[in-house]
Amino acid sequence: MPTRKSAPDPSSEGGRTPCGEPHPGEPSPAEPQQFGSAHDVSSASFASTDDPRIMLDREVGGLFDPIPPYPPQTERESEFYTLGDGEMFLNLGPHHPATHGVLRLVLKLSGEQIVDVDPVLGYLHRGVEKICENSDYYHVIDQVDPLEYISSLFQEWAAVLSFEKLMDVDVPPRAEYIRVLSGELLRIASHTLFQGFLALDLGGLAPILYSFIERDEIVEMLAALTGARMLFNYFRIGGVNGDLNHEFMSRLGDWMSRAASQTEANAALLNENEIFVRRTRGVGVLDRATALRFGVTGGNLRASGVPFDVRRAHPYSVYPDLEFNVPTREEGDSLARYLIRVDEVRESIRIIDQCLHNMPDGPIMAKLPRLLRPRPGRAWGAVEGPRGMLGVYAISDGSDQPFRFRIHDPSFVNLATVPTLLPGNLLADTMAIIASLDPVMGGIDK
Amino acid sequence: MDRNLKARLEARLNGYLRVPIYQRQDQTEIRVDPGNVPDVLRIVHDAVDLRFEILADLAGVDTGEVMQVVYHLWSPMSSDWLRIIADGISREDPRAPSATFLWQGAEWLEREAYDMFGIIFEGNRDLRRIFMPPDYTSFPLRKDFLLPDDAARSPGAGVRHVERTHLPADLADNLDAAVRRAPAS
Repeated sequence: MPTRKSAPDPSSEGGRTPCGEPHPGEPSPAEPQQFGSAHDVSSASFASTDDPRIMLDREVGGLFDPIPPYPPQTERESEFYTLGDGEMFLNLGPHHPATHGVLRLVLKLSGEQIVDVDPVLGYLHRGVEKICENSDYYHVIDQVDPLEYISSLFQEWAAVLSFEKLMDVDVPPRAEYIRVLSGELLRIASHTLFQGFLALDLGGLAPILYSFIERDEIVEMLAALTGARMLFNYFRIGGVNGDLNHEFMSRLGDWMSRAASQTEANAALLNENEIFVRRTRGVGVLDRATALRFGVTGGNLRASGVPFDVRRAHPYSVYPDLEFNVPTREEGDSLARYLIRVDEVRESIRIIDQCLHNMPDGPIMAKLPRLLRPRPGRAWGAVEGPRGMLGVYAISDGSDQPFRFRIHDPSFVNLATVPTLLPGNLLADTMAIIASLDPVMGGIDK
Repeated sequence: MDRNLKARLEARLNGYLRVPIYQRQDQTEIRVDPGNVPDVLRIVHDAVDLRFEILADLAGVDTGEVMQVVYHLWSPMSSDWLRIIADGISREDPRAPSATFLWQGAEWLEREAYDMFGIIFEGNRDLRRIFMPPDYTSFPLRKDFLLPDDAARSPGAGVRHVERTHLPADLADNLDAAVRRAPAS
């Protein structure tokens, strides 16, 4: 029976500090290591197991055991955690490098075939909706930035759009054009990164390097405009934070001169790659009815044949004045989801071109008071982000803080299709299918 | 604002509406009893002149007096978002019917509303916590769940009543001692 050690005394521990580290310069004592030997069952160091500072892996084993240490709470959970004949569990994540964030998947396998999946979320949950309810309207914008950290302008856009509806703010046209311009640039950056990561998850190393060349250029360009590379905090209620400047425009001009050809070159790297096409064509098919039933939006829905794009389906900002197509595909497989993104990059380049030609003069901010107290009401604003519809439902009670701030993240509903998409596929295709849905865990976990 | 939609909804949902249809900007709002939600969702989804086939969002709301479940829907037949508010759910025993019979994707959205508000969605076969750990007992987005500190208001200590009075008495007395870390030796 191991007994709990009393407070360590340096004199009786052979010159150890209370932290168990040997003093520098002193020879290490001959007694067995107190820390870091948890795996060594044969060693006699078990005397210290009751020390609350030490966690042996047999104590925390429940954390990494796929089967939860409590009785099943729901019908679905008890069904999932009952193994059939010849089936086994495989725990994937939460720190798997290919899960695009901190996502844990419990896979039920039969041989190498996936029988069922139970995604476990919440590792990045920070309660941003509660934080926003306790921040004033101006502070909400930088709180929502880290949600979709790959493309944070869109989350800001959804928030300011719902606030502007709440307060009946008219945004100056120049500010709207700047929003569209910066947003479409970031959409290209996000889609380019998607192509690279999809290839990386399939084992192709080169495309990600080309993706980062493009993305870095766009991000540096936006840093000249907004002052930050990733978490921009650029959109304001009633406008944007800064006007176009010389460095941004010169970088944008340079990049636009090669953007179209570079996009084609990057796409050709994968489009004509036989391994890539064979591993994505017909894999993870999301048919039209299932996609609608799951509330999937964005490129994943358009790859299943539904031409739903919030920019056209429910226009906001200046999108009605701009010419662009909404590409759709019928196949609904991983390859279609990839090709949709490539098409959208082409359309975004067209939109940027039109923004630069039509950019009006004028103010970039509406006149608003320092303290915002919208009258009581409710507003829903939705924008088309790179992953689908980003929505915000804001309720005002007349105070300077939103009474309720609901964030609808597209990655969340897109990831909900994984238990439907994965069964029947091989274990090796797990990551290809998840990567083709393009989830961002920051937004999913909120 | 889609006036035509209002007329169509009134014709189809006659008898289900608790209050008149409210329209503002690009949103049309109806309020129904929670028990009628499955019927109303079925009608607005299936009727040939409504066809609200995309579930844009499902959110729980705690107004402080009652709970609500709010659905946002999109249809190709209208230029408005449709907001359906299932109003008047008891805060003590919040229960609402599930929307999973129509939109399977509502399963996770309802799990989130359950996790944050404790609303029991009857008919959802996987209603367990999704973000918080399974042994967690509170419902964080309820209005009686108070944050111990509030960064936006912290300069005036005591202005924000939630900070001290709701703490256990012994902790409130020794709050400074409790949060102060032991000095590094």
